[in-house]
Amino acid sequence: VHPNVSQGCQGGCATCSDYNGCLSCKPRLFFVLERIGMKQIGVCLSSCPSGYYGTRYPDINKCAKCKADCETCFTRNFCTKCKSGFYLHSGKCLEKCPDGLEANNHTMECTSVVH
Amino acid sequence: DLSMNNISQLQPRTLRHLRFLEELRLSGNQISRIPREAFSGLYSLKILMLQNNQMSCIPAEALRDLPNLQSLRLDANLISVVPKRSFEGLLSLRHLWLDDNALTEIPVQALNHLPALQAMTLALNQIWHIPDYAFQNLSSLVVLHLHNNRIQSLGANGFDGLHSLETLDLNYNELLEFPGAIRTLGRLQELGFHNNNIKAIPENAFVGNPLLQTIHFYDNPIQFVGQSAFQYLPKLHTLSLNGATDIREFPDLKGTTSLEVLTLTRAGIHLLPRGMCQQLPSLRVLELSHNHIEDLPSFHRCQRLEELGLQNNRIHEIRADTFVQLMALRSIDLSWNHIHFIHPEAFVTLRSLTKLDLTDNRLVTLPLDGLGGLTHLKLQGNPALSEPFTKESFPKMRVLEVPYAYQCCAYGSCSSFFKMSNQWEMEGMSPEEEDPHKRTMELFPGHADNHYDLDTDDLQLDLEESKLHPTIQCTPSPGPFKPCDHLFE
Repeated sequence: VHPNVSQGCQGGCATCSDYNGCLSCKPRLFFVLERIGMKQIGVCLSSCPSGYYGTRYPDINKCAKCKADCETCFTRNFCTKCKSGFYLHSGKCLEKCPDGLEANNHTMECTSVVH
Repeated sequence: DLSMNNISQLQPRTLRHLRFLEELRLSGNQISRIPREAFSGLYSLKILMLQNNQMSCIPAEALRDLPNLQSLRLDANLISVVPKRSFEGLLSLRHLWLDDNALTEIPVQALNHLPALQAMTLALNQIWHIPDYAFQNLSSLVVLHLHNNRIQSLGANGFDGLHSLETLDLNYNELLEFPGAIRTLGRLQELGFHNNNIKAIPENAFVGNPLLQTIHFYDNPIQFVGQSAFQYLPKLHTLSLNGATDIREFPDLKGTTSLEVLTLTRAGIHLLPRGMCQQLPSLRVLELSHNHIEDLPSFHRCQRLEELGLQNNRIHEIRADTFVQLMALRSIDLSWNHIHFIHPEAFVTLRSLTKLDLTDNRLVTLPLDGLGGLTHLKLQGNPALSEPFTKESFPKMRVLEVPYAYQCCAYGSCSSFFKMSNQWEMEGMSPEEEDPHKRTMELFPGHADNHYDLDTDDLQLDLEESKLHPTIQCTPSPGPFKPCDHLFE
């Protein structure tokens, strides 16, 4: 085992180093690089951080960024919660709701017009 | 957030006072079973995370009374069975993760009770078949991921009912036939079925999907593609077809007017239709290498064309109108053809042209009008092309490959040697990006094997001279056995 790879790894790490944290994860966890000051520390999570979405593959689980106007998402093209100033409608973040729908400023979503 | 602990059991009703709790994270624990009333009282719960646990079946009873739940994560468990009443009562559920489990079939009945569902992943399971009407009540579903399963067959009505679907991911499965069931997906924008075993794309394959923007189907043994397969796709930007050897004719792309990148290589196309550019006014990249094309039409209506790849065909001549008025054309690859004649005005209007590859053709002469902007020119493999070039012909040249060494002498005194390396790719920088101070002729003191030592005066002389010519890699470079003077003149 490489001299810099510690044995006693925390959390979901499979391998880690004192300086860089997790180097690889246990199966089915997402590998994420967290920035702490100048350093980047590897961590293994069961879900991606806010602003990222996870995609599982047979050999790796990846986190990728949501779109700029989206706070949490299912995939890059499908948002589940928009950033402030946008209304959510069918996975998209809109500055204005489409015709026939009204903006709900409490849930920040476009909802059907109730007559 | 109780994630990433070693919780293995939940007690009934322990969370019942948390009436305003909206998000509960229990992921990354050792939970294999959830008792009926584990979540009772959580009327405001919107997000429930149970991924990365040890459950082998859906905790249906525990999910019964969560009227406001919107997101349910059950991915990365051991779930092989989804009882039909598993999601009853989850009328607000929008996002469901069931990927990375052990499902062998689509939980059709369980999915019948999710009218608000908008996004679902069943990826990374062992599903082998999609029956008819598998998703018939999911009229709000926008995203469906089924990648990395074992899907071999698909009912003709397999996707009926998915009126809102925009993204369908069937990548990394074992489909033998083109998924014709997609014809009912009128709002589909993104479709992926790469890495399957599909051999043919039928006529009118996407007639029911006019909003398609991307189709990924590489890494399929596709041999046949219907002439009309890719018609009437006005939003499609990219189309890549490689190795479909049964294609004999260029596809009819009527109505697919936004196509920007068309790659159609290693097929059997021998003729390009005259009206091709009228159908493809937005084309920027056209890659047709490894076909049987003999004669080129005029590309003048492809006004946005930037890159043209025609290598490894049977083209024998370039006419005056072949590339006329293509102001944006930067790169032409005509290597490995049978070109014996290029009309003197063939390149005159190509003011953006910087790369021209004519390797291995039958040229006797090269018309220079219009080639003043070239930075990369490849002419090796044209034995009859013996005319010497002058420095003025290519003032911006950086990488030049010519049939004979003496043709390199135009770019420096013959007594010294030139840097010899094939840096065609490495020299990708455009002239504007280049640092003007670096444009000095690099003279090696001698080839490694000759140990030719320059004394300081010679070095000064050469440094002075190097200011005249930019760094030009010219091959084959002259040498003792490849003199600068043409022996037979």
